[in-house]
Amino acid sequence: MIEFIPSAFAATFSVSVLLALAAGTFAGIIIGALPGLGTVLGLVMALPFTYVMDPATAIALLLSIYVSSIYGGSISAILINVPGTPQSAASVFDGYPMAQRGDGALALGYATVGSFIGGIFSLIVLVLIAPQLAKFALQFGPIETFALIVFALTTIAWVSSGEMLKGLLSATIGLFLALIGPDAMTGQIRFNFDSLFLSAGLTVIPLLIGFFAVSEILYQAAVLKDVKLPAVTSGGFKLAPWSEWKPRIMVILRSCGIGSFIGVLPGTGATAAVFVSYADAKRRSPNPEDFGKGEPSGLLASEASNNAVSGGAMVPMMALGIPGDGGTVVLMGALTIHNVIPGVRLFSQQPDLVTLIFVLLFLSNILMLFIGGFGANLFSRMLRIPTTLLMPLVFMMSVVGAYAIRSNPVDLFVVVIFGVVGFLLRLNRFPPAPIIIGFVLGAPLEMSLRQGLILTDMNFLAFFASPIALILFCITGLIILNLFGLGNAISKRFRRKETQSNN
Amino acid sequence: MKYLLPGCAAIILAAGSAFAEYPEKSISVLVPFNAGSGPDSSFRMLQPEMEKLLGQPMVVLNVGGAGGTVGASQFAAEPKEGYNLAFMPVGTTTTQPHLRKVSYDDTSFEPICMTIQDPMGVSVSPDAGIDTIDALVDKAKAGTVTSGGPPPGSLPHIGQAAVAAAYDIEFKYVPHEGGGAAAKSILGGQVDVLVDPVGSILNYGLKPLVVLNGERLPAAPDVPTIDEVGGKPLRYSIWFGLFAPAGTPEDVLNKLDEACKTATSTESYKATVEKSGRTPRFMDRAEFSEFFKQQYKDNASLLTAVGLKK
Repeated sequence: MIEFIPSAFAATFSVSVLLALAAGTFAGIIIGALPGLGTVLGLVMALPFTYVMDPATAIALLLSIYVSSIYGGSISAILINVPGTPQSAASVFDGYPMAQRGDGALALGYATVGSFIGGIFSLIVLVLIAPQLAKFALQFGPIETFALIVFALTTIAWVSSGEMLKGLLSATIGLFLALIGPDAMTGQIRFNFDSLFLSAGLTVIPLLIGFFAVSEILYQAAVLKDVKLPAVTSGGFKLAPWSEWKPRIMVILRSCGIGSFIGVLPGTGATAAVFVSYADAKRRSPNPEDFGKGEPSGLLASEASNNAVSGGAMVPMMALGIPGDGGTVVLMGALTIHNVIPGVRLFSQQPDLVTLIFVLLFLSNILMLFIGGFGANLFSRMLRIPTTLLMPLVFMMSVVGAYAIRSNPVDLFVVVIFGVVGFLLRLNRFPPAPIIIGFVLGAPLEMSLRQGLILTDMNFLAFFASPIALILFCITGLIILNLFGLGNAISKRFRRKETQSNN
Repeated sequence: MKYLLPGCAAIILAAGSAFAEYPEKSISVLVPFNAGSGPDSSFRMLQPEMEKLLGQPMVVLNVGGAGGTVGASQFAAEPKEGYNLAFMPVGTTTTQPHLRKVSYDDTSFEPICMTIQDPMGVSVSPDAGIDTIDALVDKAKAGTVTSGGPPPGSLPHIGQAAVAAAYDIEFKYVPHEGGGAAAKSILGGQVDVLVDPVGSILNYGLKPLVVLNGERLPAAPDVPTIDEVGGKPLRYSIWFGLFAPAGTPEDVLNKLDEACKTATSTESYKATVEKSGRTPRFMDRAEFSEFFKQQYKDNASLLTAVGLKK
């Protein structure tokens, strides 16, 4: 593979390829930042343009949109409390409070560099061990996937900050919303109340827009009577000093690891990975009470992991021909049109193309860092727009985005109804994130459980025969014990010992 | 007959002149699946060729959900002037109406042309140590064989049920999100069999045992047809075609049929489709209409056989 690197770089240093990379990165950031438009829509919009391009240019355009759209979602999450993509749902927790207290530039700096590290980390993983990782991913059958999703559900505890019961209730609502539509195991339609439109089920983006964007708009209109614009610090992009980064290196690396790991396993999804990373960062933080109030570690965990997922999700796509999420489905379809057929034969038969893809991914990440960095100046000016002008615009864009996905009128009702529901829940201090977590994990949870039960002839105990599942169940059990304080006593004793030995 | 033919021609010509300029404006094409899905990309390969021939842009409208029934129901009620077409696959048009209550059936649509037909095959993991369909049948007779694929009622599900019935064996069906997810379970050893289009089977790195087609496929010349290995002549394929709402004027349909024929015969179109791992297959209006009606009937009886028809 190494022998192809010079020729791959040579192929990219053409005007058209570099232009496509820059245009794709810029467009990707904008598309990601607009609520409702995400990676999938960005790729679909670009697809017709690529038909007339040579393969290298076309692949460059698609990959750069794929990479940068996820980062773009963080910009609106930080600046206006509305995640631009589902993958940036956890970036609002700490990004927005930072912007509110005047540290928007700093938050954008953290998000940009965090995203860059996440992207590069997962690229290294992809380059070095894609075939091996793909083999590992195959070990995750329905039973192991079920165990992983149960583990991921424990993250609800960490995003419910002090309102555990309300968080669990929200998550249950989310799990229920995932039941609407076709039952994946039988094809029967559930809870559609005889409505054709409801029989298609709900999708995450309209829910996200309702719960985050619309409820935020209502909240600002109703509660914040005299809106004070946050002070915009000079410049739109500021890097924190090294002393701020140093204690957070482990948070970034762990989030990169979690993101890449969950990305590699098809069917769990980027949104889940982000919440797992966030919960992990909070759990291990010396000051977990700062999370949700503008703690950079929370933002870094979210941003590093969502960009790490993008590289991770390319592992099963490229090595097995099995796309792990909506973005890779479209990317794979687009690549096939340009004669790159992802699958087992790609690495052995077209190593030059694989190398070209790696080089393009690398350049996309670098460009994202620079365009994101320079563009931040532009983006943070959004904060100077009066809220009364900005928020209606956001509302309009969001609703268009929600409808554009599948042109189903039910999505418009979802946006409005769940906007009001989200607003009421927020007034009563129900955290909104658990609903989204419950919703995105609901379908794979049910699917993997029922698949597992078919395979074990309805014997749930047989799930524990899988070593991977057993380990995941044990970790989940320990976390739950810990939540109920049973683990506290033990860990306190440990800590006391540590401080004694330190003395 | 002597007078009938010129008479018909005169009528067609007269009608033709009234619509001489069709298409006068852009044509909306509804795809009942999300952007980037298989049906969507299959149409987008055809789209530029059709636009060139018709001289008008075609605007894709993705209305996804519930196996395409949301979009197809909406489409069945659309205006019939030829400016509202749909590109739909076999499942949405010929199996879904038997599975659930929808507002359309085989009389709601006017088939224009088929563009792609991918024959399906029976596949197993390359590590399973199974080389022939007979070995698979023996294994199923000796114990449990699981089979994966999209939810019940989908073509791969019906296909595997038909294969099992033909050999008088049973597969335990494990539904997945789609063919890709099922392929992963098979490569991981959790599930044994996948019936899916042969192009997909090859991309996933699975081993095809037989193809459910009359002749061998160029993409897999070594894989025998089910007839060759002494099985029942099962024919299962995933196909896509262009439809108009029933009641669309004849001359509009004929013009679209003609455009479709020219578009699908261009080398660039064929190359693009083949590159994507699909099989180009053109059926004109007459042939496709008959085929469609037959599929609609056949799938009804198949779904009754597997106990899914309402």
